[in-house]
Formats: sequence, C-alpha cells, structure tokens
Amino acid sequence: MSTAQVLNAHSGITVLTVDFFDTMVTRTVAQPTHVFAVMEQLLVQKHGSRWAGVAYERVQAEHRARVAAAHTDALRDITIEEIAVELAVAMGLSATEQSTVISEEKSTEISLAKAVPAAAAIIAEAQTRGIRVLIVSDNYMPASHLVSMARAAGYSWVTPEHVIVSCEHGGFKHNGVLWKKVLEVAGVPAAQILHIGDDQEADNVQPSKLGIATHIDTRMRLSHRDMHNTSPDVLPLSRIEATQRDSMYESEWNVAHALGDGLVGMVVAAQVADVMNVVKQREVAGIHFAARDGWLAHQAWNKLRESGVALPLASYTAFSRSVIWRASLTELTPDNVGRFIGEDEVLTIARLERRVGCALSSLYRPDEEIDAQSARAVLLENDKQVVAASQQLRQRVLGYFELQGLLKPGHHIVVDLGWTGSTIADMADLITEATNGASTLEARLTGMYWDATPNRMRVSMHGYAMTEFESLDNNLRLLGVIKLMEALVTAPHGSVVDFADASQNFQPIFVETAPELFAYEKLMGRVGEAAIASALALVQGTHASGVTAKDITPTALWAAILQVGQSPRRDEVEALSIVRHVTSIDHEGDGTPLVASPPSSPKSFPQGQLPDLYNTLIHGHWLQGSLRSCSYGDDTRWIADEIGHRWPFMKSQWVSSQLA
Amino acid sequence: MVAIVMRTYERPVLLARAIASVQNQTFSDWELIIVNNGGNPAGVESVVSVARNTSGTSAITVLHLPERVGMEEASNQGLRASTSQYFAIHDDDDSWRPTFLATAVQTFSSHSNAAAVLTGVTRVHETFKGGKVWPEKHENFPLADSRLTYGRLIGGNTFPPIAALFRRSVLDAVGYFDSSLPVLGDWEFNLRAVRDGGFVFVSERLANYHTRTPESDRAAGNSITVGEDLHLRVKKELQERWESEMEPNGKSKGSFSREVEAEVAAAEAKLQAEIVAAARAQSQGRTIRRIARAVRHPKRTVRAVVRRVRPTAKW
Repeated sequence: MSTAQVLNAHSGITVLTVDFFDTMVTRTVAQPTHVFAVMEQLLVQKHGSRWAGVAYERVQAEHRARVAAAHTDALRDITIEEIAVELAVAMGLSATEQSTVISEEKSTEISLAKAVPAAAAIIAEAQTRGIRVLIVSDNYMPASHLVSMARAAGYSWVTPEHVIVSCEHGGFKHNGVLWKKVLEVAGVPAAQILHIGDDQEADNVQPSKLGIATHIDTRMRLSHRDMHNTSPDVLPLSRIEATQRDSMYESEWNVAHALGDGLVGMVVAAQVADVMNVVKQREVAGIHFAARDGWLAHQAWNKLRESGVALPLASYTAFSRSVIWRASLTELTPDNVGRFIGEDEVLTIARLERRVGCALSSLYRPDEEIDAQSARAVLLENDKQVVAASQQLRQRVLGYFELQGLLKPGHHIVVDLGWTGSTIADMADLITEATNGASTLEARLTGMYWDATPNRMRVSMHGYAMTEFESLDNNLRLLGVIKLMEALVTAPHGSVVDFADASQNFQPIFVETAPELFAYEKLMGRVGEAAIASALALVQGTHASGVTAKDITPTALWAAILQVGQSPRRDEVEALSIVRHVTSIDHEGDGTPLVASPPSSPKSFPQGQLPDLYNTLIHGHWLQGSLRSCSYGDDTRWIADEIGHRWPFMKSQWVSSQLA
Repeated sequence: MVAIVMRTYERPVLLARAIASVQNQTFSDWELIIVNNGGNPAGVESVVSVARNTSGTSAITVLHLPERVGMEEASNQGLRASTSQYFAIHDDDDSWRPTFLATAVQTFSSHSNAAAVLTGVTRVHETFKGGKVWPEKHENFPLADSRLTYGRLIGGNTFPPIAALFRRSVLDAVGYFDSSLPVLGDWEFNLRAVRDGGFVFVSERLANYHTRTPESDRAAGNSITVGEDLHLRVKKELQERWESEMEPNGKSKGSFSREVEAEVAAAEAKLQAEIVAAARAQSQGRTIRRIARAVRHPKRTVRAVVRRVRPTAKW
C-alpha cells in the first residue's frame, strides 16, 4: 500500500501516531539486541576486557529489572537506570562505570539509528496534509533520548513534546495503559487518530479497542533472530542481514538470497580468504577445492582471477568418502565390510554390484531384496573380486589425481567444509604412498569436531570457524548443523561415485539424484549464485553492508553458522524443508530430509524415547531446524521444549565460546 | 622472539593437537622445541613431519632424549637448545587460543621488567578414550592478580605453565628449573621468578589447561590428576627444605609456605561452604516457585505429569 493510499484510507484523521523502533527508526544491525554487541565492542576497545560479555549481561539485566518491577507494579515500564543497576550488580560496576554504560548505550543507539523509508514517507505526507504527528513507544529510554535518535535518523522536527514513551507514563502500549495517555495528549477523539506500527498486540489490538485506526507493517522485523545471541562476533552477519532487510524492503523477502548473501557468502569468502592468506605466506604445490563443498569457493576464486587479482590456478577436485575408502581397500573383513552397507539398509544384488564395482556371485536373484546382514555375507563371499575392483578403482583415482596435479611433488592445499577430516586423511595416505611422500596434503577446513583429533596425526588440518579445542557444547552444536552446512554449501552436480578409465581421462562420474536436483533447482542454485556474488564483494571490499573478508574472523564465522544453524528464522526452516540428503554409499535412494518431520502422534509420544529422537536428529538431520519445525505446532511444541530442557546447549540461545 | 618448549612422552594424538595450537597463533615469530622425553622417536617424528607441512617453516626442532628424565630437566634441555627474548612451557596436552602469544608479547611491551605475563585460563575437562579426545566441560580457572604475588604463591602453585610467557632474562637472574624435582618444579621456579619483576595478568582467557577425567586411558593422564600423592609428598619435602631459608618477614620460608597454605585452605573451605549454602537456598527457592507455579497453573501441571507417566507409544 502506498503512502497516499494509507492516508487516503483514513481520510478523517487529524493525528498520526507512529511507533518508534522498527517502524519509524531502525538500526544498521539486524536486530535490536545487537546494539549491545556494538556497545560491547566499543567499551572493550575504549576500556579493555573488563567489558567483555557486557552485551549478554545487558540482556539479562533488563530481564531481571522487568521481573523486579513487575513485583511492585505489573503495568509500568522500567527505565534505563533500573537496568543499569541490575547490570552493576551482575558485573560489579562502580557508579562511574554505571554512568559509562548508560552513556555508551545511548550514543551507540544514536550512531546506529536510521529512518525507515515507508514511515518517513507517510510522516512527510501527513505533515504536508497538516496532520499532527506523535511518536508512541514502549521503551526504557527517556523521550529526550528518542528525540536524539530521531534527529540522528533525519527527523529534524522531533521535540520531546512529540514523544510519548512508556517508561515516563506508567504503562505500555501492549497493556493498553499508554494509549489512554496518547488520547489525552492528542486531544482529539480516537476516530481522528491513525496509528502505524509493527506489533500486532501493542500497535493493533490495544489501540483498536479504543477506536484508533491502525496500519501494521512488519517488514523491519524480517531480519530478527533470537535476541539472546549478542556476542560482538554476531555483527558481521548482523550487518549483512540489516542490509538485506533494507534492500528487500520494497520487494518480497527472498530467503535464497538472504542465505546466500549472508551465511553462505561468509563461508565462501572465508574459504577464499584463508587460501589467499596461505599463498601469501608460503609456496604451495597446488590448491584444490574439494567437490562439492568447495565448488562455490572455486567459482569465486576463478572470478577473482578473471577480474585481474593475481592468484594461482586452483583445481576443482572430485573425491568422496566412499570413493576414497573403496580405493584404499586392500582387504575385506567382517570388521570393515560394514562400511559398504548401513545397518538398516535393504539392498538388491544389482545395487550391491554397482556399489562395489564388480559382478558378485550369490544365490539371490539380482532384483531380490536382502537385508544388511545378508548383503555383507555376500560381499565377504566375494572378497577377492571386491578387493580387485577396489584396486582398479585406486588406479583410476590416482590417474585422476595426477591429471589434477595432486601428485606433483610438494605441499598441496585442499579446501573443504571438513568435520573430522577422515576422508582427506585417507586421501593423503593414498597420495603419500603413491608418491613415496613427495606429495603432501594440508586440509583447510571450515570446521572440525572432536573426531578430528587422531586425524591430525595423519594430515595437517586447519579448522577455521571451529576446532576440537572448543567446548563439548560447541562440538555438539557443530554436529547439529553439519547437515545444514552440507546442504547450503554445495554444487550443481551430485557426489562422485567412480572415475572413468584412462581412455576418458579418468573423468569423475557424478551421480545425480532426483531429491538433490529438485532442491538445487528450487532453492540451492539461487543460494549458490547469491553466495558467489556476496563472497566476491566481501573479498573485494565492495559488499553493500560494508563488511569485508577481514571482518570474517573465525569467531565471526562460527557466530554466523550458529545464528542461522542454531537460531534459524521460520522462513529459513520452511524453505529448507524441501532438502533431502542422499547419504548412502552409492548415493542411490530418496535420502533423508534435512528438516525431520515431527512425530506422527505427538500427543502419545513417550518421554522415554526422547534420547533416541535427539540422537537421530543430531546425527541424521539438521537438529535445530527440525526442533523449530516441531515448535510451530501446538501438539508438537512440547517435544522441542523438552529437548531444549534436557540438552540445554541445544536451545536456540547460545553465547560466545568465552561465556559458554 | 618466543621459544616454546613442549615436553612430550608417548602421547602422539595430544602432541599433534598441541602443535596445532602453536601453529594457529596469530603471532608468528616463534620457535618450537619439542622435547621427546625418552619416548619412541618414530611416533614423534611422524607427528612432527605432518605438522611441518602446515607451518612450511623450519621453526620446529625436536630433541630426542635417549632416556626419560624429569619434567624440569626436559624443560631445561629445551630452553638450552633455544635462544629467544621470551619463553613458554607448553605441555603436550594443553593448548592456546590463537591470540595468546600476540597478547602476551604486546603486554610485555608496556611491562618490560615483568618476569612473566599470564592470561586467564579455561580448564578443559576431557576424556581420552580409544585414541580420541572427548571434551567434557569448560570452566574458568580461578586466576587473578591477587593469586600471582609471592605472598600467595608461597602457599602453593596457582596456575598451570600454559598460562605464562616468561622473559628469558629471568633464567639468567634466578636460574633454570630445578631438575631434582619430579613434580612441582614449575611452582618452585615461579617462586624465584616472581621476585624478579613480578607477574602481569591479562584477564582474557587465552590459555586452555586440559585435564583428563579418571575414565581416560591412563597413559593420557595429567601429572596432577594421575599423581596427586606425589604432588603432596614433594610439596612437603620442599617446605622442609625451605625451613633453613629466612624470609624478609622473619619467618622461615618453609613455615611461611605452610602458614599461607593453611590460610588459603581455610578461605577456600569457607567459600565452598558459602557456595553450598547459596545453592541450597536457591534450590529451596526453586521448589517454592515450582509449587507456586503448580498452584497458579493446575492444568499445565497435570499435563506435564501426564506426559511423564504416559505409556510407551510409537514415533
């Protein structure tokens, strides 16, 4: 609805009241509590690590101040001074430090304030038509501060007389008390007032009860996430998401663009910047972006080269856990045969033959379904053929690696998302053996978790956003988002399952699956496009948010991963619900959904099965996305709540590692 | 500029992790001296060869000691094999956050006479099982300026070696580690070092002190968690040895040490009692709030109870 249409729809009005935060004025960060993250950054810069963690404590202090105030007067709002007292108790602040924190919060708010275009246009049009404008806000800051913020955002006409704020009038908009004050100040009948705001209860339900017309616009809330995550590390993604909020203001919210431009763009930029740093510091024999996790970074790398940035040529190299393991197989035993067949799999001989790459003799018909135990027995009976096929595959794999330059003597960098590094460690063993140690590998990984420890002995590994040094909580959080990261950071082709022979230059054979193709066409392709563009802009310092690759520190990337992976927005969960993971060794079948469906009979779902459910979700799905999906249903919400209660580190709220 | 001495014995997985923590430092002017204290040379070389690929430098030196010597002798041999302005003792099971060295060196620039700079420490409880490390819990290791004075350190050691970066000239002033001590050599050295310029503390937690839980494979245990009796015995022996040394306050060093130890123990016992009392009060408060909530929202309470006693059903 245009500015004129909004006002024309309420032609009899003489007073326009406007909600302040996220209607009239917004900030250059994605959500309100990130103001405290900026404040913390500034306080630490100015006064040292004494102020580390103040943002988190600030959120808690406000909560405690509200609880305390409600004991004496449930209707009134609190003031910034009351919050500062609670903060002082928690952090042991002196009186001077209390004043410092209040003053820093106010100045930070002012420096981040900017006008919301739609509200600015309506206000300007209203003033042209001679309609009086008042500002109504539920807030703990005094009117004088809101005046300063409004002026900083370009509303030069605002004076304290224009502002009605809850902390000065003993009641909120959302409990109706403040609206009575509004009527008193406006001095006109309710029918002559139009209010615009962004909150259903405070800005629509309550004023409507008094006969005030309303107009709700929630677009500035689209970038909001969990309000408790306030480490300054969140700021790079926060600034990017604030820019997305502003740029998509006049159009429909594009979740693919938001994910690609935000988290995925940051991951890709970090991958590229990390390798750029390595090649600046030392010579390497080759740079190899791994299929599929390195496809986006490889694209960005090539575009940078095309644009004239002096970077060495880098390969895009296909390998997968199953291919590397098969190529490394020298003996098939009851202990390792399980790696060919999952516990619950039901297979046919024909599929099994495709999986191991050779004909198998058995008493079963080729299309007869057999369970995992029987399938393993068939493989053990055919162990010589299976090992021979693996050795042939090994020759094809090494032939491919040679063409990719991986066998060239020297030290090679392999860029991958990571996790345990076991596949790259197996690959390094293959290459070391084939070259008698002349060629060595180093894994540059986005994240690692505790299983990586023994692999460090087999291959050099560098975890960017996360290493196994971190707390168990963070290790588990990483486990819960691995499936999401693999879904987001992907390529337009499937996994490699084999390589052609020498006559076809050992070309990798990718398997395409219907679920993956569908997800790529519907969503992931657009995520990837946005990610490449964003990564290029971040590396070149031209991103609209002002964020650059230098801002994407390991902790900032970790915070970005958790902001999306652990605190997803509803639009992200819903969009990603179409994604299925095809994880079988031969990449056949329908795979498993990224966002698991809630139990079909949630009311009778037993508490005793929650550990199994948690285990399934954390290992096989995107845990937090699945829990969020549960939390949207009245019948299933208790499951998400209970899992958050039993495994509190898996609540959507998280804090930086120093506080964890 | 910084020499890092890393003592190791037959813990290749932990050694690989410790080396990675050095290589991840944002401060790059370091040399790492790994002292293989009588362990299998091949195991150490295997880990180091992989690590050298990462660093791309020759800044890693390995000293293979032919037979196992005490921890302090191992440190001394590593120190004597290096030259640097500063040094650190980085045990093979501990780790640093990437900015440890940068922060400590920067702090020395404004405290050039200090004997050491220490940062805050996170204590990482972990289990080492089946060749893998499983982190269990991270907690703040209590460290503050007040715990880093001679008057406090005399009662007992207050920090693990991983927390400190020392000025190398301290070795010239007070000597090397006491090789005769099987354990607590760091404490004895700290007592001498702190009198040569004092310790400066940076509260940011940049050092990780890893300890293995009792469930861990024994070979991976800490000297402290595995040998508590030995620590107590050596402490007594040191205090006896110090009986003949007089402090400026007129007391013997041994008596002073025992006196401070007793004071600290009493203060800690009092604090512990307060914590227990506070936890009890909080627990009582929580119970009262739960009852009040049950009275306010009876339907919600009934639903919660029903959920907990509901019979098994399928997913």
